Amino acid sequence: MKRQKSIKKEFSELIQKNQAIIHKITMVYVNGRANREDLFQEICLQLWKSYPNFRKESQFSTWLYRVALNTAISNVRKEKKSFSFEPLRETDKIVEVGDDEKEKVKLLYQAISKLNRIDKAIILLWLDEKNYEEIASIMGTSKKNVSVKLVRIKRKLEELVNQSVKQES
Amino acid sequence: MNDNDKNLKDMWNKAENLMGASDYESAAIKQFISGRSNDTAQKIRNIIIFDIALKLLVLVVLAVDFVLYYGTTNVMTVTVAGIALIIPLVYYQLKMLRRFTEAADNGQSTRDKLASMLTYLKTKFLSTLLSVSITYLFVFIAGSLAYFYAAYGYVRKLDGVDFMVFLGFITIGIVFNFIVNQAQIKYHTKHLEVCLSDLNDKSLELVSENIELQRKQDRSNKLLLGLVVVIGFVLLIAVFLNL
Repeated sequence: MKRQKSIKKEFSELIQKNQAIIHKITMVYVNGRANREDLFQEICLQLWKSYPNFRKESQFSTWLYRVALNTAISNVRKEKKSFSFEPLRETDKIVEVGDDEKEKVKLLYQAISKLNRIDKAIILLWLDEKNYEEIASIMGTSKKNVSVKLVRIKRKLEELVNQSVKQES
Repeated sequence: MNDNDKNLKDMWNKAENLMGASDYESAAIKQFISGRSNDTAQKIRNIIIFDIALKLLVLVVLAVDFVLYYGTTNVMTVTVAGIALIIPLVYYQLKMLRRFTEAADNGQSTRDKLASMLTYLKTKFLSTLLSVSITYLFVFIAGSLAYFYAAYGYVRKLDGVDFMVFLGFITIGIVFNFIVNQAQIKYHTKHLEVCLSDLNDKSLELVSENIELQRKQDRSNKLLLGLVVVIGFVLLIAVFLNL
């Protein structure tokens, strides 16, 4: 019982430190505060369930990405289509940055949220500085496939961002 | 790294600052991990676990029925036959639960997770549902025997109308349960297929070949389970017609 408590404590501290990864995943996979909170909780729960199988020789963040992305990809609940850049909780405050900067970030998220679930996962990993080998290992595909897909995804993202810029202007 | 890549990564890094505001405390995370899961895998796992629990309950009730009707040969034969059929089914469902837990493990690579879930849902899930249906049949047999003992002290012979009503309700229950679960899984299966084909054009093709192979191997399991359903119905008829 005591051991279980200390494992729970260790685990929640690890998640607290690495929660930015989960926030990014929820942001691109679902829309709306309630859906994001649900997915955040579901990911935490799935991570906790898989934690006994986590082998410490691999990086915690790589393992976290693997479980969190698998949970987000398998999540099949219907969601609202419109993208909104809102904080997860009402009490949260978005860090003050220039309107221009905020707009750019919003456009990027908006564009990523339009990709299919697999492409979202690959671009997220690439943006978070994972190398091709790590991406291939997390996704269960070859390095060559990752590289081909990334070229296509980046091109598509560029088009989507440009499209949104044109629409907004 | 070209300009476009740099631009994308710069924007992404700025996004991290924006996201920094949504910080959950360790206590909130502890609360999340004590909650209940809403994903499809958990729902399927719950179906199997509930079924195992129900089968074990049926085993106990059938054993009690055996004791209550000790000396009444035909009822004793039915309870023994029921127990003999349910025990391997509990073992079968435990095996399915272990296999499904492995298939639904989020710690594997995305391709492996999608492929193993799809393979399970397209091959083994039908057998799981058949096994669940059998439980309802035996719940009815074991429960009715106990009820008749409490109400009359013997198995009351049912007339034609009673019999048709009982049989009709059981059949509707089994078919309804089967259709609802199949419909839920169909949507999930479609989703898995789309994701697999998005991952790699050849992934879905390879998984489909494996599914076909496993389906052929699993055919005997389905036949056996179908046979148990038929035997269950025969036992039901034997009990209520006092054969």
